[in-house]
Amino acid sequence: MSYPRPKSPNMQNYRPQLTSVMSFGHRLSGVALALFAFGLAAWLVAGAMGPAAFDCAQAVVLSIPGRAVLFLLTLAVFYHLCNGFRHLIWDSVRAFELRAIYTGGWAVVAASLVLTSALWLWVLT
Amino acid sequence: MVDHSDEVDEVPRLKWPRHFPVPRDFGVAKGARIAEGKSWPTPEGATRIATLRIYRFDPDGDEGPRMDTFRVDLDDCGPMLLDALIWIKSKVDATLTFRRSCREGVCGSCAMTIDGTNWTACTRAMNELSEPATIYPLANLPVIKDLVPDQTHLFAQHALTEPWLKTETPAPERERLQSVEQRAVLDGYYECIMCFCCTSGCPSHWWNGDRFLGPAALLTAWRWLADSRDEGRGERLEALDDPFRLYRCHTILNCTRTCPRGLNPGKAIAEIKRMMLERGG
Amino acid sequence: MTRPRITPYSAAHGLGAAGHAARHWWAQRVSAIALVPLVLWLVWALANGGATDYAALSDWLKSPINTILMILLLIAAFHHAALGLQTIAEDYIHSRARFAVIALVQLACAAGGAAGIVATLLIAITS
Repeated sequence: MSYPRPKSPNMQNYRPQLTSVMSFGHRLSGVALALFAFGLAAWLVAGAMGPAAFDCAQAVVLSIPGRAVLFLLTLAVFYHLCNGFRHLIWDSVRAFELRAIYTGGWAVVAASLVLTSALWLWVLT
Repeated sequence: MVDHSDEVDEVPRLKWPRHFPVPRDFGVAKGARIAEGKSWPTPEGATRIATLRIYRFDPDGDEGPRMDTFRVDLDDCGPMLLDALIWIKSKVDATLTFRRSCREGVCGSCAMTIDGTNWTACTRAMNELSEPATIYPLANLPVIKDLVPDQTHLFAQHALTEPWLKTETPAPERERLQSVEQRAVLDGYYECIMCFCCTSGCPSHWWNGDRFLGPAALLTAWRWLADSRDEGRGERLEALDDPFRLYRCHTILNCTRTCPRGLNPGKAIAEIKRMMLERGG
Repeated sequence: MTRPRITPYSAAHGLGAAGHAARHWWAQRVSAIALVPLVLWLVWALANGGATDYAALSDWLKSPINTILMILLLIAAFHHAALGLQTIAEDYIHSRARFAVIALVQLACAAGGAAGIVATLLIAITS
């Protein structure tokens, strides 16, 4: 043949579905939380270095961009936590019917939004 | 046959977004970039028309893949997408190439990516399609011609699971007996028609398809692991105990979503992982 | 990577099954189960104003229970993160650079965990 065989497109034309989008969200929030773990360790090291270093770290964390990052992080925490439950339920070979997958998926999205807003409303008041 | 009458409607309800928000040629090899192809004329005197944008590739030509736009007279052909493709082949462009056989959803030949999800063309009704509908060959496979993908690797992965009965006990005079309950365990796994809609729609298989076996092969592996008459469970689990062959599955569940027979490869893989754990992984 | 690709079967067979893959999967699940209560505790403690300034942080981590919970959280979180990031590296990197990235991930998580644990102990012990 005169032209090599092309590969048919995959992500470029496949429809985003709740299944794949939520799985990608789980991975993305996981990476964000891994970075948060390193940030937590750094914050604790700042605390161990004394009041001056810790106040510096707190100023960064409680600044406006810092609070924005914290908001996104709590969203990531609750999403990864709720979807993590869903994953653990699947690992026990339960809730694999299509209806359960979709209901659970939307429930996780709703729960993470509700928990994040509830937490931030509580903190800010 | 699995009863999935209470399942979520398999046709995606939301018409948007139609594909992941990446540019059309994102990460695509230069030879696989899709150009705009021919726009075929509207059939004369047709009142109900459906527009189909179909992926075309001519291996004997010098050009890469392209998208052709066809207009189908719905009053002149049958109700299913396969009927429309056959209508195009017989009345418009005889070079349109696709696999087909049973025309009733039991052979798996006409599996293709229709409006962004994998399904068999003979069981996708024309009135369930978008306007215009986009029809591609099964995702992430080398294309032989038009809508015909090369499934050699997928069948090799299926063969790797050794899908036959393994026994040490010599054959009895009649059948190897199995109770009704033991036979019921195979329901939902033996009906696989090897259309590879699931494997072709699995993002993990897109990224690691050379080493990850994929939902179709793993569903078959579970069908034999679950069979009470099989005596090779240890060998089978040893062959699957690999970070790539089995454990690239991250329970994304695109497979269960897209199976045109209503089977559940995701559940089969979870059962394999549980059996692997029981073995003492 | 160099791997025999002469026939479709040898391409699918690759280098054979590595074995012991279920351990990684199980460790991920165990650390996940541990993280559920620990993360909820952390979120609640921080939202309750446990560490608004140095004095509050010191008081909070001086309590032995809080010290232990923080150390358990760091162990579980860095273990879970190391396994998860390794999975991501295996998924997306197909060249030999994968090994370098996985090594980096494991070392970084070990270092981060160790740093966090030592820092917690220092805050708890020193005044």
